[in-house]
Amino acid sequence: MAEPIVLMGLFNEVDPAADALDELRALGISDDEITVISGVPYSHHALGRPKPWERLPFFSLAGALVGFGVGIFFNVGTPLLYSIRVGGQPLVPIPPSAVITYEFTMMGLIIATFLGVLWQSGFPTYSPKHYDPEIAMGRIGIFFRCPPAKEEQARAVLARCGAEKIQRAERRPL
Amino acid sequence: MSVQTESLTLVEAEHRRKLLLDPIPVEEMNRTILRAMTTTGRGYWITVAILALLVLIGLGGAWVYQMIWGMGVAGIRRPVFWGVYIANFVFWIGISHSGTFVSAILRVFKAEFRRPITRASEMMTTFALITAGMYPLIHLGRTWRFYWMIPYPNQRQLWPNFHSPLMWDMMAIFTYLIGSTLYLYLPLIPDLAMARDHCVRGWRRKLYRILALGWRGTEGQWSHLQTAITIFAFVIIPVMFSVHTIVSWDFGMTMVPGWSSSIFGPYFVTGAIFSGVSAVATVLLIVRKTMHLDYFLREEHFDALGKLILVFSFAWTYFFFADYLTEWYGGEAVGHQILTLQARGPVAPLWYTMLATNILIPWLTLWNKKVRTSPTALLLVTLGVNVGMYIERYIIVAGFLTRNRMPFDWGAYNPSPVELLISIGSLSLFVLLYALVSRLIPLVPVWEVHEGQIAHTLRRIGRTLVPSVAEME
Amino acid sequence: MNREHKWTMVIDLDRCTGCQACVVACHAENNVPVVGEEEVLRGRAMHWIRIARYWEGEYPDVRARFLPILCQQCERAPCEPVCPVFATYHNTQDHLNVQVYNRCIGTRYCANNCPYIARVFNWFTPYFPEPLTEQLNPDVTVRERGIMEKCTFCIQRIRRVEERARAEARPIADGEVQPACVQSCPTEALVFGDLNDPDSRVARLAKSRRRFRLLEELGTEPAVIYLKGGEAYVGAD
Repeated sequence: MAEPIVLMGLFNEVDPAADALDELRALGISDDEITVISGVPYSHHALGRPKPWERLPFFSLAGALVGFGVGIFFNVGTPLLYSIRVGGQPLVPIPPSAVITYEFTMMGLIIATFLGVLWQSGFPTYSPKHYDPEIAMGRIGIFFRCPPAKEEQARAVLARCGAEKIQRAERRPL
Repeated sequence: MSVQTESLTLVEAEHRRKLLLDPIPVEEMNRTILRAMTTTGRGYWITVAILALLVLIGLGGAWVYQMIWGMGVAGIRRPVFWGVYIANFVFWIGISHSGTFVSAILRVFKAEFRRPITRASEMMTTFALITAGMYPLIHLGRTWRFYWMIPYPNQRQLWPNFHSPLMWDMMAIFTYLIGSTLYLYLPLIPDLAMARDHCVRGWRRKLYRILALGWRGTEGQWSHLQTAITIFAFVIIPVMFSVHTIVSWDFGMTMVPGWSSSIFGPYFVTGAIFSGVSAVATVLLIVRKTMHLDYFLREEHFDALGKLILVFSFAWTYFFFADYLTEWYGGEAVGHQILTLQARGPVAPLWYTMLATNILIPWLTLWNKKVRTSPTALLLVTLGVNVGMYIERYIIVAGFLTRNRMPFDWGAYNPSPVELLISIGSLSLFVLLYALVSRLIPLVPVWEVHEGQIAHTLRRIGRTLVPSVAEME
Repeated sequence: MNREHKWTMVIDLDRCTGCQACVVACHAENNVPVVGEEEVLRGRAMHWIRIARYWEGEYPDVRARFLPILCQQCERAPCEPVCPVFATYHNTQDHLNVQVYNRCIGTRYCANNCPYIARVFNWFTPYFPEPLTEQLNPDVTVRERGIMEKCTFCIQRIRRVEERARAEARPIADGEVQPACVQSCPTEALVFGDLNDPDSRVARLAKSRRRFRLLEELGTEPAVIYLKGGEAYVGAD
């Protein structure tokens, strides 16, 4: 059997793009085979796409817990391990400990969120992928895998919905 | 043409003066930004050269001199053990609240006018924190041993003292610096990708290619990025509050008369936002002029910033007065000495200047839209605010230490040339970093502006046209 | 034999003449540098004990009051919690506020937080011109620039006496430990000893009705007790 090809349609506005997505789905191309790449974020509601499950908040929470643990170690662990008395204060003073523990929790949260973005998005990645530089100029690009038999129809759908550019998608180095 | 249509045209023209109601093709916006980023005239390079020279003299020369000969080359003495360096430190931490306020608080409150200015102000935060972070090193008697404050396991079985507000400082500033840099970087990625795709010059292409991390803009990538930006926005606000509160607790936790005030936390945070937002206005006025960003930075932005500055002037005055009145009314005898020092002592001219620039001038001018939208007037007012805020920090740090409970041990403080050179060096470093990086990364987040323009429409309500913002998320 | 000592100094203001012998003795004992006239005018004098002089009255009825002030060795020292590197902490052996020279990185936070302004800082590298180097006390570190220092109740002398007493298997006698200032005071205005020893001179003097502590209301619990002096007081001791 012939290999499926990847087609690309570039749109200027979100309405024609959403129409095109509907018609492509009617053509039998499933959502899994479609990738929408845009210069500004569009919610999945606007595009009519399935809801993504965002795991990032769990990364952040994990980071916050790790940070909290580090803070507890510094405030409770180190004075108990190596005790030095100062100013008539207790060895593990609760109000000052709260400050440091809070800062470490926040630090953990922040770093984990950033690393989570990198992990989830697969950054950094420079190998060639389907992309068009026009997208950065505010376009919406619909990339989809299409069996060669349906290529004509798919192109017609894109043209009918008002795509600016219709062509076989190229893998460009990023 | 009927009277109605005519007036509608006028109304529409009036609304189109706002950036988000005046869309142009994205290509044009991107081109403007790329041009601003890559254009460096002769004036620019002369400025950079002068700044680099000042940094070399101040930090390379004067600071090294101080490390070799000892802290005695500065003007500090017993009992004024902290002087200009700590005043500078607190000042720069205050400036650092600029970015977070604009890009985080305004984002959380969905204030749309923040869109073109988030990056320019977030850059100010990062560089102000770098500048501020040098001062805890500069003021150390044995700077080369600063690493003992870093908690790491060692063979001496010693950990730093977490009871100390200076350790809280270190952790808070480090957290804020990391947070602010990452918060600057994350929304920058799509713009870096745009620069990667459309910037012609060789070394720039390589740089943006690496920094853009392979961004394309798929739904997954946008979802992760937007979730991260939202988390950052909400998280960095309490961090921002905690940072300046902790810096104020360097003073608040002590027994020094005038310092040991429980209102220092909120007072300093409010003062920081006051001085930070004024600094944002100053920098944006300069950037708009020198980088030709008139399309992006319009009257409405400076109008909004001016109103914010006035509001924070009220807030600052409230906290200042609460602190002052409490000390005046029932404070110890030494507290009265401190109030006299400000009203009639050697620092009195500075104190009155501060009252003028922080209270009198903003209250008399910023209520007026003409002042807020006039570049020269706003520049003068905001520079004045920062001069006043610096004086406030100077008086609190150096001024209050001259008076204490043992009058035999009072002492005057006079800043020395070394302190002045280092101060100039660090200010030049801030401006230099800003000047260099503004030509390395796109200064305005075009994708955010475009996003805003998509969301804004003019809607007909009754006989008039009204701007309407869609909730795109 | 070994009970915990509560080292205390009693300063009788009635006996202090302001002669400054204590200041000089402290410099000699503890290798405290002399900074020179110019630096003193700039406020950089490094006296671990100083005589604060307050003038009272109008001419010709002028009187001077002398107040020897040194580190008060507070039980709840405000200088201790603020040092980020534990360069000053409360010694569990002697219950003194100790300064660790090698650890100090020179933030000077402790100096700001001391309400008695008892701490001094090495603004420059201390300079002992030859042959003054022959006079340096080998029991005490010579500090470099960038380090805080303060009165230690001559802890080196306390240690020496403790070691001798332990070697000779006997308790420390009252008056055996004499810090340099106490040793040199011609009027015996400064008295040093163990407050826990009920028979010691400081314990008896500490019961005086003339007693007060400097800035007592701040709650720092100083280990230096002053006895009020001057003609203002009339009554039995």
